[in-house]
Amino acid sequence: MVNRRWIGFLMAALPIAFLLAFVGLPTVESFFYTFGYTGGPNAVVSEMAQNQVVSHHGATLGVYTELWKMASFRADFIATIWVTIASVALLLVISWVIALYLRFSDGWLARVASSLYLIPMFIPSVIASYALVTFWNSGGFVDALAKHLGDPNFPSFGYTLFGVVIGNVWTGLPFAVLMLASGLRNVPDSYIEAARDVGARAWTVSLRILLPMNTLPIIIVATFNCIGVLGAYTVPYLMGPTAPQLLGVAMTSYFSAYNEPQQAEAMAVMVFILAAAVGTWYVIANLRLDRKSGSV
Amino acid sequence: MMSNQNSVQSGFLPIPSIRRTVSPSQALSRSLATALVLALLIFVLGPLVVLVLWAFAGEWFYPSLIPQKFSLSWWSTVLSDSHFGHSVLLSFIFAPVVTILSACICLPAAYAFSRYQFPGRRAMFIGIFATNAFPKMGLYIAIAGILYATHLMDTFWGVIVIQLMNTVVVMTWIPAAAFSAVPKSLEEAARDVGAGPFRTFWHVTLPMARPGIIVAMIQAFLASFDEAQGTFLVGAPNYITMPVQMYSMVTNYPQQAAAVYSILLSMPSLILLLLIRKYIVGGYLAAGFRMK
Repeated sequence: MVNRRWIGFLMAALPIAFLLAFVGLPTVESFFYTFGYTGGPNAVVSEMAQNQVVSHHGATLGVYTELWKMASFRADFIATIWVTIASVALLLVISWVIALYLRFSDGWLARVASSLYLIPMFIPSVIASYALVTFWNSGGFVDALAKHLGDPNFPSFGYTLFGVVIGNVWTGLPFAVLMLASGLRNVPDSYIEAARDVGARAWTVSLRILLPMNTLPIIIVATFNCIGVLGAYTVPYLMGPTAPQLLGVAMTSYFSAYNEPQQAEAMAVMVFILAAAVGTWYVIANLRLDRKSGSV
Repeated sequence: MMSNQNSVQSGFLPIPSIRRTVSPSQALSRSLATALVLALLIFVLGPLVVLVLWAFAGEWFYPSLIPQKFSLSWWSTVLSDSHFGHSVLLSFIFAPVVTILSACICLPAAYAFSRYQFPGRRAMFIGIFATNAFPKMGLYIAIAGILYATHLMDTFWGVIVIQLMNTVVVMTWIPAAAFSAVPKSLEEAARDVGAGPFRTFWHVTLPMARPGIIVAMIQAFLASFDEAQGTFLVGAPNYITMPVQMYSMVTNYPQQAAAVYSILLSMPSLILLLLIRKYIVGGYLAAGFRMK
């Protein structure tokens, strides 16, 4: 029995070891680097870095205070938060409506919808962003269509923050609807019929029965998208404005174009902290649900 | 007079009267549903249809809704470009290598998580989630620092490491859920009739978990095949895969060339995902994201 336990441990340790070496270690190193530690594996990067804050005794918050003093960084930070919240909220509402529709309808229209929402999963994000920006851009298809329909002042969303939100919703749709639809499938018909028998309307059923019974899928969708959007590069790079930039794009320019890796990694640390908070929520929600289902 | 007629009718025939009171709301919900599906159709497919039109456009000036002239000339331009062939080759080398390496590292772990009890099991399982919890670009930049130090920057293995990282979560979680879904009683039955542990695994457990494993492998393949951000950061300028090439296509080439390239780049994903569509909708993907 003891033998079996150790075999299991060793098998599971393989990906953990890989992640510790290539995710854990770099994260810790870059964390120290942002506080001014330039020794160890940081030495190579710090040799070519510009505008570096070095601390010989203890830690310094120099990099962080420098960043926060810059108006452009503050704008980037606020834009990132705004786009993340807007994307996740919009995605949740849209995919909830689609999942509800798929749960309660059959027929050819529902079959069309159940193929449609999956399509973005088939398209690499570089191409999705490119197709979307061509579609929503000024001089693009929607713009032309609005002009034909008699609205020449229709706003174009290419290279705007709202354009990034559209891109996030588009690319996030398959995963979100899949998770929510599979959650809704697990709600027994008898629950819904019982509620209808006592006179509950569709709206009430949705909000009072289906929503509380699907908190876990909703939290999974919200957290995974939140984290995805926080660290995204492709969609905001191709669809977003040049200023303010989202942090994923900003940290890349600091790293590659401005050759300021310390500043780039400081931004990464800040995004990590935001994401870690969101990730903790996901883990707690999972554990709580596990406990609940265990006691039943 | 009308109301009288109604009440008389409903008095005799209660069922049609019920149908009459329901039918306006039914009509409403049906037209709402149609509007919903139509909106979804335009939102999802619109950009792709326009992209395909661009790939065959000779001339297309605003505000025309379809191209003024159609042409195939951009296809030959893109296909005869030497950068194109090189990046296709690279993409098709990286993706299988990453998928196989990822399967070797993660599948034993997936089995262990589902079938063995060992110290730190839950912590390790959640720990794997950490890769997904860290925002991609931040992580790549942190890793790039280490890759510089270990001289893996702009090398084949540097790109492999970056792409492998993205596959660990799907390659562990989805197969773990698939292994867990195999009833233990079936394995026990096989053991009872004298099958050894390996034979049981090979003939009972593995075939039943296969759809989940296939979904995970294809997801891993596509994660590698479509990965642009990290490969761009670590692999440029020597390892320009197809999605990375797309960045320069978008910024430096005419609309039509980028559109043609987009279609070519989407093909492998499209074919692979169509093959596993029924498993994905069947819940293998969703099952992987519930911790057990």
